[in-house]
Amino acid sequence: MSVIECRNLSKKFFGGKTALNNLTVSIEENKITGLIGRNGAGKTTLLKIIAGFLKESSGEVTVFSERPYNSLKVSANSIFIDDQMTYTPALQLYDLLIEADRFYPNFNMTLAKGLFEYFAFDPKYYHKRLSKGQKSTFNAIIGIAARCPLTIFDEPTTGMDEGVRKDFYRALLKDYIEFPRTIIISSHHLNEIEDLIEDILLIKDGRTYLHLPITEFKEYAIAIKGKKDTVLDWIKGKEIFYEQYAGVDTMYAVVKNDYTEKEFEKARMAGLEISSVRSNDLCVYLTNKSRGGIDDVFSGSQPV
Amino acid sequence: MAIFHADDTRPIYVQIAEWLETEILNGNFQSNEKVYSQYQLAEMYNINPATAAKGLNLLVEEKILYKKRGLGMFVTESAKELIMEKRRTHVLTRLIRDVVLEARRLNISDNELVEMIKNVQKEEGEE
Repeated sequence: MSVIECRNLSKKFFGGKTALNNLTVSIEENKITGLIGRNGAGKTTLLKIIAGFLKESSGEVTVFSERPYNSLKVSANSIFIDDQMTYTPALQLYDLLIEADRFYPNFNMTLAKGLFEYFAFDPKYYHKRLSKGQKSTFNAIIGIAARCPLTIFDEPTTGMDEGVRKDFYRALLKDYIEFPRTIIISSHHLNEIEDLIEDILLIKDGRTYLHLPITEFKEYAIAIKGKKDTVLDWIKGKEIFYEQYAGVDTMYAVVKNDYTEKEFEKARMAGLEISSVRSNDLCVYLTNKSRGGIDDVFSGSQPV
Repeated sequence: MAIFHADDTRPIYVQIAEWLETEILNGNFQSNEKVYSQYQLAEMYNINPATAAKGLNLLVEEKILYKKRGLGMFVTESAKELIMEKRRTHVLTRLIRDVVLEARRLNISDNELVEMIKNVQKEEGEE
């Protein structure tokens, strides 16, 4: 069953910037989806529309079968975590947990307290005085413990150090196993979340570029390296995502993986090296405007 | 994840399946014994439970595990044999491929290559 349905969803801001451009996607219940895209691809806008914080300009969006904007049902069943969250300045950190416990019906106070102590928060401290990373960590605790049927994390690890990031993702996974729910996490760093998520939603220029299980995404493309002519011959007619040259005639190319085992065999026999592509790199190649990446900017101006 | 080789680029569910196979070969799981659930594996390896399930299903397809409805996954009678057979053919094929490729690069003819293999067999046989 799908919890979120978007059809031809568009969002134009004042001043004419188009953040979402006819985006269509449906997100299934109780899955962890990773939302990936470059800066300005529309990730935050999409998440805010889903959470009901922003109104769509056109198209259709339903969350729990309702239009999220101004919907009590959506707001009661979802939580949106990002680094802009503000709390009442009058309350100390621990009191904020108590209030969150009162507000969210599924709130797991034991877990919240456990995480609060593990990350060594001072109960009497104030949220606005926390460092960037500590703020993110506190918000993440609220996000996990709230156990909302729809839990949205927009760049949750901003400012967190490496150790805290790992702890956060592990805590999220463990609690998800215990209490399955629909979770969307946006991130620039697919490598951080690729093991945690079930589906990847890659958006580019305000549209859905790819939406598939992460295990399939990892086999979506392959890299091939060898003599330029041999490589070119082997990738003829294929969708090429990236290409790079080295030495006299060595070529490295990343192409869509729709080869058969026999074709791989042939390539290996011809001396080509075939390898998998790291998902993080693949995301970058897929969302690049040109096939050579940053090198293309320089290649035009280089003396031959 | 530390348990995996950092430079292992194969999909995680394949690595999980292989790890379970090794556990079976080592005798840590006997025939008709229950193996880890997708949730146990997910927690152990810090991965999404759906990915862990994919690893388990791979072994079901290969008849190394079987499903008991509502009870979990169990080791088949022929699991050990199947795994050994699979590894034998895989490893050997890969090694032979490397040999053939290298021979081609060095312009060694097929006959020469066969001769070389026979020589090695002879040397090994004399020991």
